[in-house]
Amino acid sequence: MAGGMPAPVVPRANVKMVIDGQAREFPAGLTILEACQRVGIKVPFFCWHPGLSAPAVCRQCLVEIKGFPKPIPSCYTPVADKMEVVTNSKKVFDVRRQMLEFTLLNHPIDCPICDKAGECMLQKHYFDWDARIARNDGGKVRKAKVVDLGRHIVLDQERCILCTRCIRVCNEVARQQDLVMAFRGDRQLLTTAPGRRLDNPYSLNTVDVCPVGALTAKDFRFSMRAWELWATPSVCPGCATGCNIEIHAARNVIRRLVPRLNPAVNKYWMCDDGRLTYKTLHENRLAAPMIAGAATSWGAALTEAARLLGQARDKSPATLGVVLSAQMTNEDIFAFSRLATECLRTDRVYLVGAPDGWCDDILVSADKNPNTTGAKLIGGPTLRTAADLKRDLEAGVVTALLLVGEAVGPPDSLQTLVAVTAHQDPSVAAAQVALPLAMWAEVDGSFTNRQGKVQRLYAALAPAGQSRPGWETAVRLARALGAAWTYGDAKQVFGEVCAKVTLISRADWGKPEMPVQLRFANSRG
Amino acid sequence: MAKIILDRLAQQFVAGEILETGSQHGNEWARVAPAHWRAVAQFLRDDLETALNMFIDLTCVDRLGRTPRFDVVMHLYSVDKKHRVRLLAGVPEEDPSIDSLVTLWPGANWFEREAFDLYGVRFAGHPDLRRILMYPEFVGHPLRKDFPKEGRQPLLRRLPGSVD
Amino acid sequence: MDDPSQTARRVVIGFGDAANLPEDDELPTESMPLNMGPSHPAMHGTVRMVLEVDGEKIRSADVQVGYLHRCFEKEAENASWTQIFPYTDRLNYVSPMLNNVGYALAVEKLLDIDKRIPERAQFIRVIVGEISRITDHLTCLAASAMELAAFTVFFYLMKAREWLWELLEELSGARLTHSYVRIGGVVADLTDDFCPKLRDILRRCRASIDDVDKMLTSNRIFRDRMDGIGIITRDDALGWGLTGPVGRSTGLAYDVRKDHPYLVYDRFDFDVPVGSKGDNFDRYAVRLEEMRQSMRILEQAMDLLPAGPVLIDDARVALPPKREVYNTIESMIAHFKLIMDGIVVPPGEIYSFTEGGNGELGFYIVSNGTGQPWKCRVRPPCFANLAVLNKLLPGLFIADLVPTFGMINMIGGECDR
Repeated sequence: MAGGMPAPVVPRANVKMVIDGQAREFPAGLTILEACQRVGIKVPFFCWHPGLSAPAVCRQCLVEIKGFPKPIPSCYTPVADKMEVVTNSKKVFDVRRQMLEFTLLNHPIDCPICDKAGECMLQKHYFDWDARIARNDGGKVRKAKVVDLGRHIVLDQERCILCTRCIRVCNEVARQQDLVMAFRGDRQLLTTAPGRRLDNPYSLNTVDVCPVGALTAKDFRFSMRAWELWATPSVCPGCATGCNIEIHAARNVIRRLVPRLNPAVNKYWMCDDGRLTYKTLHENRLAAPMIAGAATSWGAALTEAARLLGQARDKSPATLGVVLSAQMTNEDIFAFSRLATECLRTDRVYLVGAPDGWCDDILVSADKNPNTTGAKLIGGPTLRTAADLKRDLEAGVVTALLLVGEAVGPPDSLQTLVAVTAHQDPSVAAAQVALPLAMWAEVDGSFTNRQGKVQRLYAALAPAGQSRPGWETAVRLARALGAAWTYGDAKQVFGEVCAKVTLISRADWGKPEMPVQLRFANSRG
Repeated sequence: MAKIILDRLAQQFVAGEILETGSQHGNEWARVAPAHWRAVAQFLRDDLETALNMFIDLTCVDRLGRTPRFDVVMHLYSVDKKHRVRLLAGVPEEDPSIDSLVTLWPGANWFEREAFDLYGVRFAGHPDLRRILMYPEFVGHPLRKDFPKEGRQPLLRRLPGSVD
Repeated sequence: MDDPSQTARRVVIGFGDAANLPEDDELPTESMPLNMGPSHPAMHGTVRMVLEVDGEKIRSADVQVGYLHRCFEKEAENASWTQIFPYTDRLNYVSPMLNNVGYALAVEKLLDIDKRIPERAQFIRVIVGEISRITDHLTCLAASAMELAAFTVFFYLMKAREWLWELLEELSGARLTHSYVRIGGVVADLTDDFCPKLRDILRRCRASIDDVDKMLTSNRIFRDRMDGIGIITRDDALGWGLTGPVGRSTGLAYDVRKDHPYLVYDRFDFDVPVGSKGDNFDRYAVRLEEMRQSMRILEQAMDLLPAGPVLIDDARVALPPKREVYNTIESMIAHFKLIMDGIVVPPGEIYSFTEGGNGELGFYIVSNGTGQPWKCRVRPPCFANLAVLNKLLPGLFIADLVPTFGMINMIGGECDR
């Protein structure tokens, strides 16, 4: 729906009109461009975006409407009864070519060094609709090539095609007016508003919506070509909002995260902090199981862990605690809770997580853990808090810990510490046994966000080193402790989670999704 | 120009046997139900008006994602009438099997062996259905879309005294 | 194997006349498995024949191919349309231009630009194609003659082939792996002195071929080795799908250039030699005469060669000139998209066939609308031609196998792909 535009006053009934000679019917309120998209008719555009208002500045979407002397922008015009639209006449094709010629007139020949190459809308539309050689033999207008706009963004003013999508993202999504157009005609430039920088917390969305390579992310520029990236759908682990994302990875390394459309959660956007959460996946990972700080095999580490935990349990289950993290997937939390109750026979299950942070009313939650809701639903009312854990440790009530997920600064009073963790943190150094944990982008699993939606993660990478998904480690510990669990894959664990928690009993595991290479895929713009 | 072939097929066979026909880029083609593969091929060879007596090609297409997954594709030519046709038959993944046409055209022998080797489609009634391009101990059917382009096969060593 | 102690046998010693042996006594024989190839001087292009021989006579034969399988189809499914041209060079590697041209025609039909290929490009494709056909036949005759101990013939024909390949090297940069053809035309125009050089080479080639004709065609030894051996009937040709010189030697008058003309073949005056007996000698004679006819086509093509561009002027199909690419954004984008995404071929299927050196060279291409093919199958003429050997060999002597196999002209690159 065209956001930000006042709804036209039309009757509630469907609109009957003709597009390209075929009679069609559409709900009232759509624009012609949206109507064409619904029936699969391709109309090129630059400045229109489904999540932003439509200013009709680029004029690329012009179509002919019977009765109008000049072509009309289809992104702005609502459908009306008895309207006759033509999108495939010679005149419309000529107009498209002419608009592209204007747009390309001063465009720098930067494709070999431009990040957007391969996912550039200008390249795509030129190739699909124009394909004529240049008529311009003169020089091009020169502008600034590397402008530092703010915290995350670099601007190349020559590449900018003046579509104003970035300005509308700042105004309408981030609600800060950071960017403006300056000057006119072929001297028109994108620049920051007087006295401002582009530093709103949603600035990296401008890089996504920019049809060309004018706005580039400092984090991603020159790091990887678009067509070498493989896209996998997932969920951002930055906070409890759970924005839907795509992981773009090449050669088993994540290069960037981009938002994925979910009208109910994050629409088309995500915040900058969330985009940078992928960095922890490749830093300082625990690669191999450790016993007392020395790398060893999984078999030996599991045996030792089971022995230690079994010892602690047999001495007194009340001194044995299991610490879970709100950063873990539903499957991991469920498996370890079950381990705690059935095999370790303790009811001291603590839930910790990252501390609260800043929030706003756009997308960002104060709760910086992706799965607090899921953990609380699965753990049940007997789940204890981080404050409880601190108190119990200081009081010496708990002397043995199975620590899963994020680290807790290990107190010296612990006699037994088995850590299942992803990074080489202080708990690993202090633990008797440390088992490596695969992180969110390496596993199939699910998070439950603050709205109670269960959202699916797909594995984009192979687990780092020898790390394994958490639920799998729980299964092997359980078997080492004598229980005969039979989970074969994450989907089975998920099935039991849904069976146990009535609130999310209708959640669906979803279809298998193979990573898609960005090559030959249409531009993401 | 080869429309006579499609007309004769429509006259001789019913809709459940010839599933679809068409003409694209000057190629006439007909989609055959796999159970009638042999009957249709024999008719096209023996009918006086189609006279598709020369066997040209037989191969498979892996249409991964579609059910049935494989298409067995055959091209026939008539040296007398100078027209040709493409016949397709959809073969499912779970039981990729279709009749062999070796008794109609002896040349189909090697082409069917190749389709079996590279796609795993079995030809019922073939006298000697074994691999032709790959070595006998090869694992998998390489032209399938889910067979990786790069990989390793088990290394083999010939034991002394072993027969081919 | 038989246990010697079980069978009563009489060993015949001495110079007794075998014909005088009692009727029910047979000389004991066992058939012997004989392996020819894959590494064998006569097994061109590597092929393995596992023979069961009874003395010198072949009882049964199992022709095993696949030793030169290099996964052409799998690679083609992972390459863009233009990247496949070097792979096609390496199919029938003694007539690579014919493979290039066959593949290009197939893709052009899918793109619906086959009517817009510039005329000069079509003539050039015919010229280089026919040169490749001549080199193909030269190689076949040279190698086969050498195996019958006619070494002089080998050198005469190899020298002729070398002249042609030198000329193609001047044109494309490589003797064999030209990659000269592109979707929409050819990559570059003929060199300035191409035509005079070619005429001179054709004159010398004619002389070489005439010499070989004189040396072999009435040669008693050659005729004895080739006449009546490896007879294929017209019905065999239909049943086994034999085309090209092998098919035409049986009397089956099918040549794609005449029956379904493509490019500008319908403008040339040439004959198609057809044999009558379908034996090895007929295949030799057909190839010899085909070379002369190809030279006729070449002379006419050079006479009629028009001026003009050699590549279609469509930025969605052919790379723009470099000067444009470096200086205008439009051509830069076109170049970029063509290289990175490949030509966007609309979804569809096509079987396009041309006359290769060995027969009907078909390309069955399935496109799913992207810049890479979904399937790119080669219908290899010598795969079908070689299959008939399983039927021909039983009953022949081992010595007959050599010229029979040679005259089938199996090119390993095309057969195994």
